[in-house]
Amino acid sequence: MTLLPITICLLIVPLAGFSGYLVRLLAMIFLWVGKAGCWNILSGMTGYIDFGAVGYYGIGSYATALLMSKAHAPFLVSVLVSGLVSALIALPIGLPTLRLRGAYFGIATLAFAEAMKQIILEFDKTAGVRFFEGPHGITLPIGPGNEFFYYFGFGVMVVVIAMTYWIRRSKFGYALRAVREAEQAAELAGVDTLSAKVKAYMISAFFLGLIGGIETYWLTYITPHMVFDVLITIQMVVMSLLGGMGTVFGPAVGASFLTVLYELFHRDFPYTYTILVGFIIVVVVLLMPKGIVGTLRKR
Amino acid sequence: MLLFLQSLINGILLGGIYASYSAGFSLIFGVMGVINIFHGEMVMLGAFLTYWLFTLFHIDPFLTLPLSFFLLFVFGYLVQRFVIHRVVEAPPMISYILTFGIHLIIAYSALWVWTADFRAVTTSYSGLNATIGGVIIPYARLATFGLALIVVAGLYFLLKKTETGRAIQAAAQDKEMARLMGVNITRTYALTFGIGAAVTGVAGSLISTYFIIFPQMGLSYTIMAFCVVVLGGMGYIPGTLWGGLILGVVQSLIATYLNAGLSGALTFILLFIVLIVRPAGIAGKGIVD
Amino acid sequence: MGLKRRVSFGAILLCCLIVSTHGIASGQQKFRIGYADPLTGTFGRDGNLVKDAYNFWAELINAKGGIEVKGKRYPVELTVIDDKSNAAENAKFTEKLITEDKVDLILGGFGSDSVFAGSAVAEKYRYPLISGAASSNKLFERGFKYYFSTLGKATEEVRGCVDIVQILSPKPRTGAIIGSDILFTSLAAEGFKKYAAQDGIEIVHFELFPITLQDYNSILIKVKQKNPDLLFVGSHLMVAMKTVQGMKEIDFSPKMVAFSYGPTVPDFIKNLGKDSEYVVAASEWAPNLPYQDPLFGTARQFNENYFKKYGRTPDYVEAASAAGAYAMQVALEKLGIAPPVKEEDRVRLMEELHRQNLMTFYGVVQFGADGANEAHPPVAVQVQKGKLVNVFPKKAAEAAPWYPMKPWKER
Repeated sequence: MTLLPITICLLIVPLAGFSGYLVRLLAMIFLWVGKAGCWNILSGMTGYIDFGAVGYYGIGSYATALLMSKAHAPFLVSVLVSGLVSALIALPIGLPTLRLRGAYFGIATLAFAEAMKQIILEFDKTAGVRFFEGPHGITLPIGPGNEFFYYFGFGVMVVVIAMTYWIRRSKFGYALRAVREAEQAAELAGVDTLSAKVKAYMISAFFLGLIGGIETYWLTYITPHMVFDVLITIQMVVMSLLGGMGTVFGPAVGASFLTVLYELFHRDFPYTYTILVGFIIVVVVLLMPKGIVGTLRKR
Repeated sequence: MLLFLQSLINGILLGGIYASYSAGFSLIFGVMGVINIFHGEMVMLGAFLTYWLFTLFHIDPFLTLPLSFFLLFVFGYLVQRFVIHRVVEAPPMISYILTFGIHLIIAYSALWVWTADFRAVTTSYSGLNATIGGVIIPYARLATFGLALIVVAGLYFLLKKTETGRAIQAAAQDKEMARLMGVNITRTYALTFGIGAAVTGVAGSLISTYFIIFPQMGLSYTIMAFCVVVLGGMGYIPGTLWGGLILGVVQSLIATYLNAGLSGALTFILLFIVLIVRPAGIAGKGIVD
Repeated sequence: MGLKRRVSFGAILLCCLIVSTHGIASGQQKFRIGYADPLTGTFGRDGNLVKDAYNFWAELINAKGGIEVKGKRYPVELTVIDDKSNAAENAKFTEKLITEDKVDLILGGFGSDSVFAGSAVAEKYRYPLISGAASSNKLFERGFKYYFSTLGKATEEVRGCVDIVQILSPKPRTGAIIGSDILFTSLAAEGFKKYAAQDGIEIVHFELFPITLQDYNSILIKVKQKNPDLLFVGSHLMVAMKTVQGMKEIDFSPKMVAFSYGPTVPDFIKNLGKDSEYVVAASEWAPNLPYQDPLFGTARQFNENYFKKYGRTPDYVEAASAAGAYAMQVALEKLGIAPPVKEEDRVRLMEELHRQNLMTFYGVVQFGADGANEAHPPVAVQVQKGKLVNVFPKKAAEAAPWYPMKPWKER
């Protein structure tokens, strides 16, 4: 498969003396593939459009930030805990929300993410403690160079893609697809759709939390506004959509394309990039609703 | 006591403002099931139209309202007719993604052309208010409250008492049946969207007289419209008044008696709870998928 | 198969990217200086002021041929990237400027959030970063060696707005403090509190609100009810504008309202018109203070030349930013560092900046061990007849403060 030479190339890039910028760019792409892939695991497969995915990313970010700055925990432990915390919170949130249909689910998840942001902003003031540091944000110790995040990002990306592949081929994945195609029929046939949805939701949350932790360490400074930004969810949505929702490599294609586009335009034509993304979305929805991978696959 | 009254009135007026720009959102969703993510952009466009007419030609904001209504109507009609209509048969998620793409195009084109500067329409009568029994009532906000009442009543009248309105309702309830009865669905949808856009644009025009405006303001208005409409009941027009009022009053009282930060957090927590517990909204008359 | 084609396309794209990102060597006869700055977004207006200030400096020095190092002159080339008022973007672009564009030197953008993030990156790569537009105390509490600020700390910057009570008559007794909850503004609010206590003003209300808050009236009516003599607001442009609008709407006229930042940005007066009269704001500089330097001339000349170029007088952030760029220039000249600047040169630059004690049109620039400039006598300005006028302290004052503020109903 062409995957093997590409994987080897990617693994060598940081060691081959390419510019630090390229390493950073690829690392960013890997992490976006990871994020979009997480969103895809839930929303792409089940059709339940989650507008609050950034909530788990933010929870994970804060978990790592707090552990590393206040408890001086090591990085690996922190990001794993971040993933776990996110997944744990996903359970009580997911159970009621995943019963909602369509638009309501979207709004509820959006409300969840916004509420999380507001809670972290107001908690210290309300409870009279110094914990989340509210709007002031948390600073982490300066960490290793981009190569570290490159390999970590690469690893996470591979895991998310592999997970998507495995889910798609499993009975679990079948249940998720049944939810997307004909939920009521599936339920009547005895499929426990709620359980499948919640599982997907929690898996997605785990990895989002993990990635949140990784990026926090990379950025070394986070505030609630930064890590609960609805624009992060939006990027995930668009990347999956463009690449092909529910497919294994869709998020990878979408994330790579959009990130490169962003890098090319963002600096000199900042608005052009976003307007272009808008047009891409409109065009994809009207002409290519299955996304790039989905459409190519059909031929 | 006076503080309570003042905060309450403030909340009521705020609620009216919320309702004024959310009614259109509810209408569009109620009739064609489209969650319009560029809804806030229509508020923004109405606001900027008024701003430019005022700044460049010194036309009083209140005089720009009819133009705002007309232009936004045309805009809404055309966008629905030629873009959104294509996905009206598809699952709802497609429409949110599509309208999201349109949101990006409009908001960032506006940003490009008008720059990110904050602007305000400051007329000679800006900020003027009346004092009744010690309570201050700003005129501009009162006017918007009035507009909300007019819009809600107007839409209600339109839907229940006119031929067009009945066609819209028929299309909303059962598209296929309506079609069989001779209703031109395509035109009806476009008309509905146009009306929704028009009333929203007018709300935006008024808003420019007391809130700061800037090209990226749309998204937060869209989110607020969601909240109002969920509380009031999706697709149930009179509900937008209730939803708006409840939100406005709750936010105002919390900000006055507790702190402003909590009002934000509580809005979303409230929204979340309502969605789980009573998705049809306070009055229970909303459309639940 | 479709998938293979997809992946190959990706590989080609990757190759193109690699090729295009290989550095293009350019003629190394100039200083290439980069900075990430909010040119759009919440702080877009404020960030553009910083850009204007740096451009002003660059044009002045380039008019002489450039920075003089060991008898030769090297022009300055500025590169700015818009971070869209997003701190994460600022960090990313600062890194891009350093690792990809390989600029010689870095400057700071506007605002504590952006600068906080950008300076962390600069510290990592050992690029001295001087900013003239960020003052949150936290910036200086990180133990950084490469971060410098020509502004003093936020809590000190607002001092002028409070100390002014010493010359107001009748002397006010109570005050209320509100502010948005972000870094600079919350610290400014703390600063107001600290100096209010020192000046004998009783604070009857203290509240921070989210920067995303839409309606200020619900807070303002609360404050109005407590009837403070003074209102202090931790703000940037947007918050300041919204506060004035809200105050008028609910007819709240304290005897004075002072903002930590906002009124000095031209849009404030332009958008609010007559409603902006009487408003007081913090500042760290005034054109009639007895400061001067060989490049900009006196404070007054800087003021006039800036007006000639941009059609408006500079606010103190612009002055501080220009002074910061100048401080870097002087250090380069003294050390004899020519472009292309190497890493060890930047380390020496950092050490020199710490030693520096420089008089500029902006006042003394002397960075402490934590990077903060020694505090300048804080100034207060007021909007009088559509213009900003220095009203405190007496030696910097161009006019007496208008006190008390004329109530809205009487205007």
